Amino acid sequence: MKYALKRNLMLVLTMVIVSFLTFLAFELISGDPAEAMLGTEATPERLAALREELGLNRPFLVRYASWLAGFASGDLGVSLHYRQPVWDLIAPKLEITLCLCLVSFALITVVSIPLAIWSYRWTGTVFEAVRTAFNQLCMAVPPFFTGILMSYLFGILLRLFVPGDFPDLRDQFGEALVHLFFAAVCLGIPRTAMTVRMMRSTVIGEMQKAYVRTAISRGNDRRAVLTRHVLKNSLTAAVTFLGQTMAELIGGSVVVEQVFGIPGLGRLLVYSISTRDYPVVQTVVVILAFWVVLAGTLADLINQRVDPRLRLGGAA
Amino acid sequence: MKKRRINGYLLCGLIITGVLLLAALVGTFYTPFDPNAMNGAEKFQAPSFVHLFGTDNFGRDIFSRVVKGSGTTLAIALATVAIGAVVGTLVGAVTGYFGGVADDALMRLNDALTAFPSILLALLVISIVGPGNKYNVVLALGIVFIPSFARVTRTAFAGLRDVNYITSARLMGAKNGRILLVHMLPNTVRVLLPAITIGFNNAVLAEASMSFLGIGVTPPDASLGYLLSEAQDKLSRAPWYALCTGAVIALLVFGVGLIGEGLQKMDREVA
Repeated sequence: MKYALKRNLMLVLTMVIVSFLTFLAFELISGDPAEAMLGTEATPERLAALREELGLNRPFLVRYASWLAGFASGDLGVSLHYRQPVWDLIAPKLEITLCLCLVSFALITVVSIPLAIWSYRWTGTVFEAVRTAFNQLCMAVPPFFTGILMSYLFGILLRLFVPGDFPDLRDQFGEALVHLFFAAVCLGIPRTAMTVRMMRSTVIGEMQKAYVRTAISRGNDRRAVLTRHVLKNSLTAAVTFLGQTMAELIGGSVVVEQVFGIPGLGRLLVYSISTRDYPVVQTVVVILAFWVVLAGTLADLINQRVDPRLRLGGAA
Repeated sequence: MKKRRINGYLLCGLIITGVLLLAALVGTFYTPFDPNAMNGAEKFQAPSFVHLFGTDNFGRDIFSRVVKGSGTTLAIALATVAIGAVVGTLVGAVTGYFGGVADDALMRLNDALTAFPSILLALLVISIVGPGNKYNVVLALGIVFIPSFARVTRTAFAGLRDVNYITSARLMGAKNGRILLVHMLPNTVRVLLPAITIGFNNAVLAEASMSFLGIGVTPPDASLGYLLSEAQDKLSRAPWYALCTGAVIALLVFGVGLIGEGLQKMDREVA
């Protein structure tokens, strides 16, 4: 329990640091939001009034604190481009991106682990080179390319979904899920290949250890040793890697959303960058960063449940 | 004497990458057609012997455009990796060799940065330096790739710090700079080379993603990612456009990936 507490404290600390750095970065570059909002209509009086209204004439740290407090209570300021509260803008998109990442994550987990064990069996055979090459190829194909291929094949030729026309997540959940499924597959292919590669080398490394040799020399079945002992010992590495996968998916989703026309967080981010809508960019970046840190913490906590050695101090 | 086996991964990777590199190099001064010349009579031509990859909605030759575009992509990726590798190695060498408080602080920062998806960091940096300019893309990606190189080299340099031949070099009165450069650096090539191949691939993919999103390279420069975003709009009329462009990106990353795999395999066999 102590470990979990410490880990959660670290989580909070990291989040504060990340949000501070982001706030600082945007503070340095974004110039005067009041000027950006008023544009050509700016007069000294109106600028002063708007600055007062937005609270821009307060010291930096006070603004950071109030921004942080706003973040906690859901008040994230107003978008410069949409002139709409940032949270109202982000909330529905966050939902969609979350769904996309979860579907993709589930696919990766379900496919890659059996595949890794299966590919381990091929070690030393002629197929090994073929498998390695195929694995490399899967890692090489960028998700936006598979995305284009898929939207051509399943969208334009087979008409399973309409590329660029994302159904409402609440009203047409089934259709939306089909749309998300194809996007999730594209997002997941390179990552699945990486997971297979990682798992395979972990299993190979584990199989060379003394306990495996002992177990086999005692007359145990090789396969039984693999499933009963080796896989258990490879689990922590897998959990850590899947935690990173969760983080990596959120980055990949930015691009895949663009290909499939999914109105998620990534699309909003890209659009906000090109329109220099800093309050939105800032918030999205912080949310995505939180996601990444959270995934890492979660992986660590799960590992600590899985592996008693981590629980009893030592490596922690 | 042990018979040396041919390293198939390395060989295949070098061949694929070499051909693409050569094509891109030739493409800087010669392409079969002018990549931007429009030809109203030859719109949406399917691939043929005249137009290997077909033509687009303006009748432009896609093969020429892809060759030219891969030149841009390669140049950006190489520049990016160069920034990342040089600065990263410098940081890694200094922190790994000297250790201390600076090492701890930098590595904590590094931990935080490497945790983030590279595309996300690149987007953040590009939104700070301003989108739509190839030098800014190189800058953004270069900065993003520094931490991973720093991490890899730091481990290598830290591992070498107390090795006998380094101690003996120090006893002979060699200066720190000389030890780092002459004695340690050549011994980190082993880990640096695979890291460079991985970094190069990530750079190609990140550049392509950014240009695809419209915040990377913009016309008149055209990179493979930009071409792919152009191709997506014409998917129903000219599917070969997207297919050929994407295949070239995939082939490039595949080739360099094989080189990396081969290098690691070679390393395992030597060790």
